[in-house]
Amino acid sequence: MSMKELEKKLRDRFGEGVIDFAIPRKNRLIIKVDASIVKEIAMFIKENGFDMPISAGATDYPKDKRFEVFWVIWSSIHNLVLILKTDIDRDNAEIDSLVEVWRGVQKFERETWELMGINYKGHPKLKPLLLPEDWDEGYPLRKDFSLSPYKV
Amino acid sequence: MGIARVEEVEELKDGLMRVSIGPQHPISGQGRILVVTDGETVYDIEIDIGYSHRGIEKILENRIYIHGIVPLERMVMLDTSPITMCYVRALEELYGVEAPPRAQYIRTIILEMNRIISHTYALGLFAESAAWNPAIFLWTTADREPFLDLLEMLTGARWSYSFIVPGGVRADLPQGFKEAAFEAIKFFRERLDVYVDSWIDNYLFEVRTRNVGVIPRDKAIEWGAAGPSLRASGVEYDTRKHDPYAAYEELDFKIITDTSGDSYARGGVRVKEMYVSLDIIEQALENIPDGPIKRSLPQRAPPGEAYARVETARGEIGMYVVSDGKDKPYRVKISPASFRNIFLIEMLPKIEELRFADVPVIFYSLDPWFLDADR
Repeated sequence: MSMKELEKKLRDRFGEGVIDFAIPRKNRLIIKVDASIVKEIAMFIKENGFDMPISAGATDYPKDKRFEVFWVIWSSIHNLVLILKTDIDRDNAEIDSLVEVWRGVQKFERETWELMGINYKGHPKLKPLLLPEDWDEGYPLRKDFSLSPYKV
Repeated sequence: MGIARVEEVEELKDGLMRVSIGPQHPISGQGRILVVTDGETVYDIEIDIGYSHRGIEKILENRIYIHGIVPLERMVMLDTSPITMCYVRALEELYGVEAPPRAQYIRTIILEMNRIISHTYALGLFAESAAWNPAIFLWTTADREPFLDLLEMLTGARWSYSFIVPGGVRADLPQGFKEAAFEAIKFFRERLDVYVDSWIDNYLFEVRTRNVGVIPRDKAIEWGAAGPSLRASGVEYDTRKHDPYAAYEELDFKIITDTSGDSYARGGVRVKEMYVSLDIIEQALENIPDGPIKRSLPQRAPPGEAYARVETARGEIGMYVVSDGKDKPYRVKISPASFRNIFLIEMLPKIEELRFADVPVIFYSLDPWFLDADR
């Protein structure tokens, strides 16, 4: 299946839910989707051969009041890397967890929950991982986190 | 670092206990493995990392691009060049440039030497975990010396090279490097044969590591294993082949895989990969083209984003770099191989019967690195 066919299948099935479909270079694919249907789309692309989770995280855009949440999936069949992206509201940082789709994203979502403060709905194990256990100074990877107390 | 509070620890059934391995140096670095056991059988394993979290992703956001290379190397001191290679690769994609061919070959040579250095250390620890005589660890530590000397000759440092920079490499091969490298390769190949004869092919070692910690192919993919841990489960996946960088596209080598997915297979893949690395270094030294080694780049990267992948000794590292046109990255997301591999051991008691004595064997066979996972 070529990527053109995948794009057609996706757009036929989800219509407006697929916001962007881009091939920036060889072996890369970026799909931007609507946050409300991210889980259905994830199921769909997993059925189409994207089976191995290799990364997940989020980027903070305080000016646009949004987080861009992403999952990076490798396909053992097509040999390419897919970046699945979606935008969520910065004041209400919630998104469906994709652990049920790809088991391996569990640790990445847990880490993003801790460092970026994004609530993954349906995640089985949202508990602290990297930060000290008495940490209460906010979410270090957000752009409004101040580094000045830590500068030497 | 989140499961230390006593009130949060759930009650255990009668006859079971929770044993904490670590957090002081259970392997290189600080981290804790919590094992629920009745003394022999393992029922549950929980990985507790974060004891050396330095916030490297945040640090990178506050440094100009080239200064990011130094903190990045602190992720794995044994295996620094592939990590910087990944960052540099992402930056070169953002800038839309490629390093000159000679620089690509020099990069390949350093990357493969680093792989050998890292694999020897991993195998030494693996041997020790299987109750093997510590002599193996001393052997592997001594035998990597020629490569450390070569890297010192080339870069001026034994561990943290900061040698691969955006646009090329810092310096050209010094005089006498080629000859010294061929000599080291010859020496090391003989030593590898000795390892295989005396230890890898040894019945006692096989008994200790065969069928221990078997990760089936489908689980390895589902859980997102990386590097030798993935290839030992029969997945032919190596970014050197599948998403080539440096000079790998022009060199002839094959991906080492195994199908059994047990601890022995993971160790075996590492040993065979070292033979492949020696071949790659030889080819690179023989075919290295003449020409410039660096092109200069402006301090500000054009706006955009890039996802770069590089095969470190522990597996694939991924870096997602977002630039907003300034001289510092807007966001860097690092997905190191250890972070993916370290959690595999949590899954294992759910699919097979483990004994307590198997835990270190499996752990060292996966070769995760706490500092790599913590960042």
